[in-house]
Amino acid sequence: MPAVIDIDQLSVKLGRREILHSISCRLGASGEGKAIGLLGPNGAGKSTLIQTLLGFHLPSAGRASILGFDCHKQSREVKARIGYMPETDSFIANMTAVAFLRLMGEISGLPAEAALEKAHETLFHVGLGEARYRTIGTYSLGMKQMAKLAQAIIHGPELVILDEPTNGLDPAARKRMLKLIREMKESHRMNVILCSHLLRDVEETCDEVVILKDGVVVHQSDLEAERKMNRRFVELEVQGDDSSLAQALAGAGASGVCEGGGRWRIVLPADVEIGQLWQVAASERLLVRKLSHRRDSLEEIFLKAVGHLRATPGEAGQAKTEVTVNGRL
Amino acid sequence: MAVYKRGYQRYQGPRTSHLSRIMVMPRFSWQRLMGMKITIVVLAVSMVWPLMCAAFIYVANHAELWQGMGGDMVRFLNINGRFFEVFMNTQAVFAMILAAVAGPGLIAPDLANNALPLYFSRPLTRGDYIISRLLVLLGMLSLVTMIPALLLFVMQVGLAGWGWLADHWIYAWGVFGGFALWIAIVSLVAMACSAYVKWRVIAGALVLAFFTILAGAASIMNAVFRVDWGRAVNPALAMNQIWRSMLDMEPLEGPGAWACSMVLVLMGLTLLAALTRKLRPVEVVK
Repeated sequence: MPAVIDIDQLSVKLGRREILHSISCRLGASGEGKAIGLLGPNGAGKSTLIQTLLGFHLPSAGRASILGFDCHKQSREVKARIGYMPETDSFIANMTAVAFLRLMGEISGLPAEAALEKAHETLFHVGLGEARYRTIGTYSLGMKQMAKLAQAIIHGPELVILDEPTNGLDPAARKRMLKLIREMKESHRMNVILCSHLLRDVEETCDEVVILKDGVVVHQSDLEAERKMNRRFVELEVQGDDSSLAQALAGAGASGVCEGGGRWRIVLPADVEIGQLWQVAASERLLVRKLSHRRDSLEEIFLKAVGHLRATPGEAGQAKTEVTVNGRL
Repeated sequence: MAVYKRGYQRYQGPRTSHLSRIMVMPRFSWQRLMGMKITIVVLAVSMVWPLMCAAFIYVANHAELWQGMGGDMVRFLNINGRFFEVFMNTQAVFAMILAAVAGPGLIAPDLANNALPLYFSRPLTRGDYIISRLLVLLGMLSLVTMIPALLLFVMQVGLAGWGWLADHWIYAWGVFGGFALWIAIVSLVAMACSAYVKWRVIAGALVLAFFTILAGAASIMNAVFRVDWGRAVNPALAMNQIWRSMLDMEPLEGPGAWACSMVLVLMGLTLLAALTRKLRPVEVVK
């Protein structure tokens, strides 16, 4: 099965400026129903990358393909399989939502009757059912975002590209938008590319993440794998004499670092379950005040990737275990 | 099942052909234009002259109605190249007005509402977009040009017989080809104005101004340089020269039909290039 996105040494120039510098990555390799987050600071080249994938810009070198089709040479095949929700307001103001969606559906290749049916169906799906006969120009910002999402999915694309979908949404609408995005990949098996400045949105919805900075890929990771890996890092806070806890942990097969004040950072090997920590704490007569998974949040990964953080806390924790003696720093 | 109960499902059915997708936009645009009062008024007014011409053909083919009238009247009531030329000149003006009314609403709203990324992220190229918009005007302007002209021709054939057709078939080609050229030029002007000016009223005025300004420029060139080739720059005069050639009539003084054709083709290509340049899914700041 071809990867959702396969980029090989892609460079894009706008005028004389090179915006993307020979980037390569392979995303969504494991098939359908994948959500890929595209992150980066302003001017990193996210929008240029999306627009190149959509065939709006010509690559100056390299190639990019979506679902196995070359974005430039097989543009028509690519566009037949994708839905695009732009960041800025894009619609036909004096059209009703139903007419607008029907037009978009028909241009995407739906027969007239099916397009009308899908227009109603999709508008109900995104929560605009009651307002579907209003002209889009009269919609609020949140409703316009939903209408943009609706036009992107009316034709049932294999890949949906969402550019800042939660921009300008209130918390309830944002929650609804994220729920719809999760449904798109989980229930409808669509692949999603989510370009957002809101790291939490990406963290909540995406399986993979790519971070761009100054036109190059500075980080690419499988969030699911990272989440699994992060489950092995535990933060423990105890009350009592914890001087022999390091040895007790070692006896249970785990290793821990005391950070002072009863706070411990523990790395669990694959065969040690978290329940054993409770047993160790009980045997040491310690009162457990806090036990939580340590995780490298996407924010930490992002800050490290763009150069504002030397290492993520998870990595720091790993490094510390190598240089401690008797569990003390 | 009611649509609100059904829930969203991905469409998995058959897809339409590329040609059908191109025809979607004209269909929606025609619906919108036919809902505008001003379009209906212009269409209605532009039908007056064809009806008068139809009456003229009827009278010209019924000798009993004008028996006893003088030789001048007999010469006047003759369906020839001159008749079709006058018809075309009149309807060309209505075509221009209709283009000024219908044209600005085609591209300007898409640009104002940033709708181009939505079109171009679908299997639709810039060429397809231009063709689909041209088809809107082609269909609309044909209603007041080609279609009544060909109906008049058919009416004349019906009344005068097959013998008249054998001798004058070139008029059918003349009105069809001549109007096709005029529609192409007027449509490109209207679309270019629509692409560069977001305000519909101003874009409409600019369509009319384009022809007026070029006519004025042509007269000034002729007067200043004491030449007559300036006429080729005036689209209306250049087109008239081409029509006369197609209708097998004596050419007017000035540049010939071929020279006028070249100038109009050049003008059309320039307008097309200007239009293509403006129609980009994203603004690129270089």
